[in-house]
Amino acid sequence: MRINSIALTNFRQFSGTQMFELRSSSLKPVSLIFGANGAGKTTLLNAFTWALYGTMSDDVEEQHRMVTDIVWRTLPMGRAAELAVEVRFDHEGHDYRLRRSAEVRKQSDEQQKPSAEVQLWQTMADGSSEAVGAPQERIHSILPRGVSRFFFFNGERIEKLVQKGAYAEVQQDIRMLLDLEQVERALEHLPKVDRRLTADIKKHGGERASEIQTAIDDQRDRETSTRDELKVFEGDLATLTEERESVTDLLRQHAGAAPIQKERERVEKELADARAQERTARGERASLVATRGFLAFTDELAAHTAEKAAVLYQKGALPAPLKREFVDQLLENGRCICGTMLVPGTPPWHQVTDWRQRSVLQMVETVWQQLSGQITQLSSARQELHASLQAAVKRITTERERVTRLEEIMSELDGQLKDSRLEDVQQLESKRRDLGVRIGAKLGRIGVLRNALEHAQREIEQKNAERSKAEVTDELAAKARARSDLVQSVRRALEEILAIRKEDMRSRLDAKLKNVFAKITIKRYVPRLSPEFELALYQDVNGVELAVPKSTGENQILSLSFVAAVSELAREIRAERRAEGELPGDAGTYPIVMDAAFGSLDQNYQREVSHALAQMAPQLVVLVSKSQGLGHVVGELTPYVSHLGVIVTHTTSTADASEDIELDGATYPYIRSSAETDHAELKVIK
Amino acid sequence: MDRQDEGARMTTARRTERDVLQELTAEEQQLLKRVLEIERAKLHVKAADLTDELLSSVKAILP
Repeated sequence: MRINSIALTNFRQFSGTQMFELRSSSLKPVSLIFGANGAGKTTLLNAFTWALYGTMSDDVEEQHRMVTDIVWRTLPMGRAAELAVEVRFDHEGHDYRLRRSAEVRKQSDEQQKPSAEVQLWQTMADGSSEAVGAPQERIHSILPRGVSRFFFFNGERIEKLVQKGAYAEVQQDIRMLLDLEQVERALEHLPKVDRRLTADIKKHGGERASEIQTAIDDQRDRETSTRDELKVFEGDLATLTEERESVTDLLRQHAGAAPIQKERERVEKELADARAQERTARGERASLVATRGFLAFTDELAAHTAEKAAVLYQKGALPAPLKREFVDQLLENGRCICGTMLVPGTPPWHQVTDWRQRSVLQMVETVWQQLSGQITQLSSARQELHASLQAAVKRITTERERVTRLEEIMSELDGQLKDSRLEDVQQLESKRRDLGVRIGAKLGRIGVLRNALEHAQREIEQKNAERSKAEVTDELAAKARARSDLVQSVRRALEEILAIRKEDMRSRLDAKLKNVFAKITIKRYVPRLSPEFELALYQDVNGVELAVPKSTGENQILSLSFVAAVSELAREIRAERRAEGELPGDAGTYPIVMDAAFGSLDQNYQREVSHALAQMAPQLVVLVSKSQGLGHVVGELTPYVSHLGVIVTHTTSTADASEDIELDGATYPYIRSSAETDHAELKVIK
Repeated sequence: MDRQDEGARMTTARRTERDVLQELTAEEQQLLKRVLEIERAKLHVKAADLTDELLSSVKAILP
């Protein structure tokens, strides 16, 4: 299959009808199309798969909005818009025109998913065009949908091809591509043909031949049921093995995460302690403030009071302690302690009476005296409070800092643990043991079934030999026997061919993969394709071969190498002399259409991948942005480029976002702002 | 027959598809090719029952 052109009509952001020529030669197999982010590269990739299968990849959002938004908006209600993708291609000597289209009638502003019709025309030898009756089936026979993911893909997601668990699907898809499936299906169908033929032997072949045929049929039935059972057990075994691998992975993760988990537990404990310490310190400070906080405000008061007392003392206004009872006694006796008579109304009497008045303040004076004494204590208590508060604040600060630091550590550890789906280790261990036991049981049963199958096959061979020798007089039965012998010979040959092809394909694909990968990678990693089609990378470390944990970039390189190897092998095997007979010259030829072609690869890898793909793919359509495509990629691909184009982004944004792209020494529009409508323009440069 | 069986079971790795084909009679080669053509043409139809078509091919080769 080689694509000659693609035309889009109102397909997503491609308004109107826009066509791009893709016909290429073996010397210049590359078409290079540039586009900014969101320009429509993914849409263009999906236009191919939509035309072929009516589907788009999961990463395309708003899939129901197939008609260009502006076309839909301006379409009067009740009118229909044309939506179509037309792909012209040739395959095994025939030219095809494939068109998937829909008349999308506007019944509301919201678009409904259109129901598209597929049509396929084949150009006949005389140049006339003839519609293919079952277009979708023909397309599937040309390029089955499962297989198409090897040829139409997004470089950023290509690594999924080699991710763990994907290999079963890859193996399934690749069987068809490498001509294994038709052999397997023939082996399924031929026994039914044989049974139909041998019915005549049983009916007309005479007693002996009929008896032998009945025995053969019984053995065949047993063989079929054993084979079916074996298939079920092998399926179960694959499921259990995969489950055990995933449990082992979890355990490995657990082992890896265990020290982090342990550290987290320690930090969590310390954090709880730090938080408690901080709370205690804050409590202490609050208690100090509540019970002794007033002391902070007594400084001025105490100083003022002490100063006032001192002044009063100095003035003598503050007498020494004088008891009121003593003065009363003097006044009652009418004589002072100095012997002066205290006659009422006389100056001495007035003087002592005045003393009495002053002694009335005794209580106050006592308190005054006590207060004077306490002023000194108040000062030291205040200093004490200051020291205590300082200590409390220091502790709070220290604990706060500890809490902050521990919270940061916790968050870091949580981040490290986020991706680990940790279950209980013991539970996982017991699950793994249980799976091991179940796998053992399945393997045992598979062994028994394989033995039974071999036994049945030997029995059938023996009975067949007996059948050949048995006398058959009836002509119809004799003919049936000869035909059955023919079918059985072909069946045996096909069994052997299948075994040869399986091993041959795997080993050749493995060799090609190693070859392509070695050309691309800068590391000394070696890929290996297991008999189960599982892709793994290995590295020789001091003579020991170790599995390499693959990064996203390495998975992308491995996937691209795999695609290139599959593409080359598919062509190669069909060019060889095979049981199917001669095939057309382009048999096994498929285009590779890549969006975001180089994913997240470094520039040196981009260069090598471009080089490898340009040399290996019979037709290569590369959709890239300026940042991905200019430089090394263009440098490598230019000698192989037959078509060059740009998907120009027209945006209604008034921000000055216009940008150009320089290709082949000329400047072309890349982004154009302030446009009347948002749309993509497929501009042909070469 | 015995030789082919032995080949299928024991020497698959060394033998080639060409070896297998060369050991078949003309009728067997013809049928094998036809069977693969029929199967290849109907690969996309998973539920296809090709018994009648295959049977016709056998009868066409051994009328």
